[in-house]
Amino acid sequence: MKVEIDSFSGYRIYPSKGKLFVRGDSKVFRFASSKNASLFLQRKNPRKIAWTVVYRRMHKKGITEEVAKKRSRRTVKHQRGIVGADLATIAAKRDQTSAVRQQARLAAITKAKTEKKEKEAKKVKPATRTSAPSGPKVSKQQMKGGKGGR
Amino acid sequence: MIGLKGTLNVIDNSGALLVECVNVLKNKVNNGHGSVGDEIVCVVKKARPISAAAQASVSAVKVRKGDVRRAVIVRTRKEIRRPDGTIVRFDDNAAVLLNNKREMLGTRIGGIVSADLRLKGWSKIVSIAPRVV
Repeated sequence: MKVEIDSFSGYRIYPSKGKLFVRGDSKVFRFASSKNASLFLQRKNPRKIAWTVVYRRMHKKGITEEVAKKRSRRTVKHQRGIVGADLATIAAKRDQTSAVRQQARLAAITKAKTEKKEKEAKKVKPATRTSAPSGPKVSKQQMKGGKGGR
Repeated sequence: MIGLKGTLNVIDNSGALLVECVNVLKNKVNNGHGSVGDEIVCVVKKARPISAAAQASVSAVKVRKGDVRRAVIVRTRKEIRRPDGTIVRFDDNAAVLLNNKREMLGTRIGGIVSADLRLKGWSKIVSIAPRVV
């Protein structure tokens, strides 16, 4: 037993119901009732007849369950190593605990301080030597004399 | 429901185009109507023109206008009920020409035929037909 569908409205046609019409171009049309058959022969457009399946699908009536199923796809991000630092070093750096980082910071600070002190020591020594020739600080304009402004 | 004076299209390649029913061969009754699968006596009203060369050479039978032949109805505009309850209706009336021994005159059929022919014993026509509904 095969349940056909109506060519006009989309209704189900059980055996011994409805009519089968074969058109001049050998196309077969099945109708569930004389209502469907009559409208078809009047050349009505099923897309404009409100109770047909075609119309309901076009105007999206009663179709909410199907729409809700659609889920959006999410892309997954993968960690990749770059030229300067491969994945292992990135992971190592990221996984350092805060204590380790603080220690590193302190070490860096102390190192910087010692370096700075050394620099200053070096600066002071040569500064005492080279200060003699420089003499008292005179402005450039005074040196030049020049026109002697007003 | 083809009765006296009913016209049918001819869908085989026998040369006829339109035939008019003269008698329905059914149970010795002269009046009566023929449906799909019934044999009728008909007059060829319109036929394809036969050229002189074709007349002489071709062995296949070609009918002329005014011939009286037999035919079997293969499509009707009146609905037919099938044993399973289906109702089938075609858009026109059509027939296939036969000779007196119930054999086809033409060799090919162009068009759809009704599947009720099989039940009435015209399986030869059903097998040649391009489409059966």
